[in-house]
Amino acid sequence: MSYIANNQDAFKAIADPGRRRILDAILLDEKSITDLVTLLGLSQAAVSQHVKVLVLAGLATARRQGRHTFYGANPVELRTVNAWLHKYERFWEGKLDALEAHLAQKIN
Amino acid sequence: MKDIIITRDLAYPIQLVWEAISNGNQLAQWLMTNDFQPIVGHEFTFTTDPAPGFDGIVQCKVLRIVSEQTLEISWRGGPLNTILQIDLEPIPGGTRLILRHSGFAGFNNLMPRFFLGIGWKGKTMKQLDELLASSHAKGH
Repeated sequence: MSYIANNQDAFKAIADPGRRRILDAILLDEKSITDLVTLLGLSQAAVSQHVKVLVLAGLATARRQGRHTFYGANPVELRTVNAWLHKYERFWEGKLDALEAHLAQKIN
Repeated sequence: MKDIIITRDLAYPIQLVWEAISNGNQLAQWLMTNDFQPIVGHEFTFTTDPAPGFDGIVQCKVLRIVSEQTLEISWRGGPLNTILQIDLEPIPGGTRLILRHSGFAGFNNLMPRFFLGIGWKGKTMKQLDELLASSHAKGH
């Protein structure tokens, strides 16, 4: 079950409602910290912290332009998180195979 | 986010299947080491090999038990806080087992819109694929 460790950061990142709002906001267009503060009504400190977590988790990318940094969602990584769910599904398929083998043993 | 739902038709009587999913010793043989007891409110753990970022422990609590019919437990491992429900139904020649793993935190709000395009600025899956392709082309 080692895959439980995979994308831990991404899971933690999207577990927070504030960070989900930020991800939503940057899904289609890049935004600066200032844009996000105005858009979401969160404090600059909170937005900066959330964005940092998203970038570290690989869910957002930072692009410097002049004196500003623009943040955008990284859909490839989001898709990786989705793939993680399918791994969990395969985990259960494997466990149910083991259940069937266990039952076969019980009946004999 | 959609739940994980797996249906299996088993060629074994329901009593036998129920025993396999509601007896701690038997659960240990096909699922994981545990201190499960079939008592509502009982808190227990499933343990497996630790991995980087995961201590190998799933924290659980028995939420619902209907003999030979339903077992529902909370399932918390790492950042996941989910619900596992197993239902049994008698069918000719055996038992139908329906496993449902639901409540993946964080997915509920974001993922359906992102992956299915529902209500997300009218984006369709095709447009999402284009977005992914262009993102890929940018070097991700």
